[in-house]
Amino acid sequence: MDKIKLYEQLAEILDVEQVKAEDVLGDFEAWDSLAILSVLALADSKYGVAIKAEEIRSVVSALDLASLIEAKKK
Amino acid sequence: MKCIFKNRKISSVVAVVPKEEYRFDDEYPVFKLTEDKAKRFKKMMSLDRHRIAPPGVCASDLCQHGLQHLLDEGILKKEEIGALIFVSQTPDYTMPPTSNVIQGKLGLGREMICLDINQGCSGFLLGLMQAFLLLDIAALPKVVLLNGDTCSKQTDRCNRISYPLTGDAGSVTIIERCEAENPIYVDVKNDGSRHQAIMIPAGRYRMPSTSETLKLKEVEEGVVQNLEHVHMDGAAIFSFTMEDVPPQIDEILEFSGDTRDSIEHFLFHQPNPFILKQMADKMRIPLTKLPNNIVSLYGNCSSVTIPLNITHNCSEQLLREKSRVCMSGFGVGLSWISMVMDLGPLAASKILEY
Repeated sequence: MDKIKLYEQLAEILDVEQVKAEDVLGDFEAWDSLAILSVLALADSKYGVAIKAEEIRSVVSALDLASLIEAKKK
Repeated sequence: MKCIFKNRKISSVVAVVPKEEYRFDDEYPVFKLTEDKAKRFKKMMSLDRHRIAPPGVCASDLCQHGLQHLLDEGILKKEEIGALIFVSQTPDYTMPPTSNVIQGKLGLGREMICLDINQGCSGFLLGLMQAFLLLDIAALPKVVLLNGDTCSKQTDRCNRISYPLTGDAGSVTIIERCEAENPIYVDVKNDGSRHQAIMIPAGRYRMPSTSETLKLKEVEEGVVQNLEHVHMDGAAIFSFTMEDVPPQIDEILEFSGDTRDSIEHFLFHQPNPFILKQMADKMRIPLTKLPNNIVSLYGNCSSVTIPLNITHNCSEQLLREKSRVCMSGFGVGLSWISMVMDLGPLAASKILEY
């Protein structure tokens, strides 16, 4: 999976210039229930992966999200 | 579970909305959103306006208005009504049933069945199933299905997560027998193990109303709610809608021998435009066949979204001719029901204001 592409998509959702692997998603001002919904939709439509509510709650960093999507794609 | 009903039809659908209309652009300052966040929210959810019943107006008032209209117009006669079903999560009272209250106010005959059903998102289709069944035993030829909810009273006006998407409405649907076989295909699924995904935790008997249950608490920055407001696990509902509903649509189309092409309209419950767009993409159905415009115009009004979808998007055609439709209601319960049928021509199909 292209992690750089995912971070770009995350930056768009969070309305910031850039998101880096180690960035904590909860630290972004725009990380709210709406952003979470956008991420679930992104995972489903662009990566064909269904992320569950409890799984997204355990995601801390952008890299965690990339790893989760990667693990679920297998 | 699957079942088929025969020799039954929907003959009229009337939706009723409060005349009070509010626009997101005027309301957003109370949500304590920055202008940027408000814009993002508005764009993502295609927010525009919604209808909100004023204090003192109940779901039953909206339904009664629609039913009185059908009686006044002569489309329905009091002496034809064999059963009155009221589907709602905002009834007038815990007791008596609101269907009895409406029966009394309208002066309907005694030789009939009154039945309240507690259901939301799948409530139009659950109510239709009940109506189809009651036609077998009712002494009089028509069943009236009322769907009504004042969802705005189950949240705080300042709650930016739920309030902007919420709407109040009622509807009246007439169900009767028909000569033609007119098979109606139904698939029903329920999963009560996920009942906490959408619920109002307090205010009835499991957790009675106290000063504690009415205390507002912050659940997200700037978002307050109490235990008598509707609680939604957005992520869980999203997963449910995307994972459980599309396979049911595949199942019902196979059961009825239809395809995506043979269905003219996919008239779905309307939680919000965003999730409907996601679903439509996933199911490879164009939005021209699966309208997602109801929440932007009226708000999500629980079981009335499908009647509003029918009357707002299809009235002109359905007053003239029949159409092959697939309806689907999904949400609180969790419960999801889908139905394929020929709908129309209808004697009445319109939206009224109250």
